[in-house]
Amino acid sequence: MIYKRKIFLVLFLIGAIATISIPILLGQRTQAIPLAGGKTTVFNRTSSAYEQPSAGISQKNFDLHGEGDIAFEAVFVTPPANINPGLGPLFNNASCVGCHIRNGRGMPEKGQLLVKVSQNPSVTSGKVKDHLGNLEKTVPGGSALPVPGLGTQIQDQGVYGHPPEAKVEINWQEQTGQYQDGSQYSLRSPSPKITLFNGEPLPDSVMTGLRIPQPVFGLGLLEAVSDQTILDLADPEDKDGDGISGRPNQVWDVEKQSLVLGRFGWKANQPNLLQQTAAAYVGDMGVTNPMFPEADGSSDIDSKTLEVATFYVQSLAVPGRTLLKDQKVKRGEKLFAAANCNKCHVEELTTGNYFIPALAQQKIHPYTDMLLHDMGPGLADNRPDFDASGTEWRTPPLWGIGLTQTVLPYSSYLHDGRARTLEEAILWHGGEAEMAKQAFVNMSEGDRSSLLRFLRSL
Amino acid sequence: MLKSTLNYNWQKSRPILGTLLTGMLLLGTGCSSSSPPKTESSDLQITIIKDFADVVIIPTYQQLVAKAAKLSQTTNAFTSNPNETTLKAARDAWIAARAPWEQSEAFAFGPADSLGYDGDLDDWPVNETDVKAVINSNEKITQEFIGNLQTTEKGFHTMELLLFGNNNNKKAKDFSPRELTYLKALATAFDATAKELLQSWQSGVQGKPPYRQVLVTAGDENNPAYPTVAAAIEEIVQGAMGCLDEVGNEKIGEPLATKSAEGLESRFSHTSLNDFKNNVLSVNNAYLGEVAMAGTSGKSLSELVAQKDPELDKQVKEEINKAIAAIDAVPAPIETNLTNESALTKLEAAQTAVLALFSTMEEKVLPLVQ
Repeated sequence: MIYKRKIFLVLFLIGAIATISIPILLGQRTQAIPLAGGKTTVFNRTSSAYEQPSAGISQKNFDLHGEGDIAFEAVFVTPPANINPGLGPLFNNASCVGCHIRNGRGMPEKGQLLVKVSQNPSVTSGKVKDHLGNLEKTVPGGSALPVPGLGTQIQDQGVYGHPPEAKVEINWQEQTGQYQDGSQYSLRSPSPKITLFNGEPLPDSVMTGLRIPQPVFGLGLLEAVSDQTILDLADPEDKDGDGISGRPNQVWDVEKQSLVLGRFGWKANQPNLLQQTAAAYVGDMGVTNPMFPEADGSSDIDSKTLEVATFYVQSLAVPGRTLLKDQKVKRGEKLFAAANCNKCHVEELTTGNYFIPALAQQKIHPYTDMLLHDMGPGLADNRPDFDASGTEWRTPPLWGIGLTQTVLPYSSYLHDGRARTLEEAILWHGGEAEMAKQAFVNMSEGDRSSLLRFLRSL
Repeated sequence: MLKSTLNYNWQKSRPILGTLLTGMLLLGTGCSSSSPPKTESSDLQITIIKDFADVVIIPTYQQLVAKAAKLSQTTNAFTSNPNETTLKAARDAWIAARAPWEQSEAFAFGPADSLGYDGDLDDWPVNETDVKAVINSNEKITQEFIGNLQTTEKGFHTMELLLFGNNNNKKAKDFSPRELTYLKALATAFDATAKELLQSWQSGVQGKPPYRQVLVTAGDENNPAYPTVAAAIEEIVQGAMGCLDEVGNEKIGEPLATKSAEGLESRFSHTSLNDFKNNVLSVNNAYLGEVAMAGTSGKSLSELVAQKDPELDKQVKEEINKAIAAIDAVPAPIETNLTNESALTKLEAAQTAVLALFSTMEEKVLPLVQ
């Protein structure tokens, strides 16, 4: 133990010298150690990196996190059953972890890929006939009109004896492109074929949007960022003339019964994590809950279960960065800023007050502004959701993104999982991010590789 | 998967502080490189990772494949000629197949999760309502039909329910023709999935590179999962911790708290104690770089720990043996002994032993490798 202490002392002295000398050598920027989740950051670069409780939470909250973990893992089955009844009758998956495997990013495959649907308000013919009663609620204020018989999401699985709403098949189309240095790249985009339970194709009048699961760690910190902090980043009229606007979504809060700032989901269509979780229970698993109950007011899970599952997500830690001293990573970080990636993927935010004290007032590095941006026609799903247009998407956080393939090998990026690599994800950027994408396309191979290595260090 | 226990979060900042400060020193003196720093144990670390893949993970999955094939053969023999002898052979084969699977759970990362093999082989609980509905229906049971079933309607535990019955008292004559057909189809599908899982590590599936390749090239600049060798070494420790946490806090903890057999994983066959033990053996194998069942061994995390702290290595080995002994001391089957006070005391002792090993891994081994 004495030996260890000596090492620590040496490291401390070295650190003190380095802390003093670095700003002199490299300027102010390197002074701050970029702790992804502030003091809640954990250090784990393995396949369990997204499954850790936030550092510094109280014993009580730690225990609650553990209870929530069990709820998040619970696999639901068809009632009646002694354990975890309540599945379906229609669903996409039977557990939270079934989609959010190891809490990571999913793949565009059955059980993970969701098809959001809505009725085009200007089309009155060719609507879908009623199928089984579905549980999704019409939320006032939404621009995504539920499709009769389908709601706002296709459930492509049913308990035994209940045909699913539809069968979803994805065909991929490849297209090629070229970097300025002449090297080629190939991108794929999905072309869904959706066949209704009765064998008919989904009418063209139904607007569709494909969604893969998003990672679920660090969300408490994002919930802890104040509305004002997010709104201060917005520039809806692009008054600063940088070609990047940034708009908040305004979405329906079921508890408050009013429109509030949207934060979560690919189009920021959920206001908070409780509602996000409750909507996922009912929409993805057919598990009714106190926020979205059965017609008679009863529900498959109680408020305690809903709350602990939500708490689990709220208290999941962000993993700290790796390779901080790597030259390529450092070069990549500079290129990231030089290409203006950080105009939307904002490096640093400070959290406000929060009911989990450890998460409050933290300097975090999520690489998001939580705002909507027009990403151009290439990525558009053309399906508006509240104030988000068919071409707008919320800036996804990049923290921990370097662990994507560690946690879940072969998982993919962007809302529909079309990007097989981070490189492809960058190349799909358009609209407000066109200039940043062009900057990447114009980079030398070495610089592109540095930028990607920086992302993989996050 | 990971149920963490007390004191977990407080451990984290210390080791990294050292790393960060070391990093800052390198930065400050301009002495940095794009590859991870070479430490004196770096060559050993690389060999440990290679052996982890070749003498631990792959041999364990090979054992699973061999035993899944036997399960399929014996199930075929039973379903074509149902009698008590063929039934017993199928049940024994089921129990035998559990061992390598549970011994794989300390290293369940990679394709097992992401390609859905884990769910297809071992989801829990069984969707008994739907399983009954399948049995009572007339729908043709094909491999395609099994492929489309939910994971709670196939795999180990659905086969277990069919083979052993709800109360572990099923007789060969109790099986309906539909049950026999369903069981046979499940065993065939299981066999195929086990083979695919092994293939995903050895030669690659769906056009993807074999996952062995990803693991053993940890530290290469373009490695998609492990940019440093240290991260791959840490994977061994975190995997062991996750497994111990699950055995201690969930697999044992849950029935201890509820005094109900409902929460026991292999309750139909009354073999949950085997699962506990095989999970600890999984940790043993990952730590010692060996699989007794396969007769393989190589360089291991144990050697790395011994180099830095021989006492700690000794402690880990002792605690592994104590945990196994404590599980062995619980009167079997635990499924029918949960109302027996002395059995519960033994079960609690087993939990304590498993969690002691967890704490050692977390508090002492993890900081050594981070």
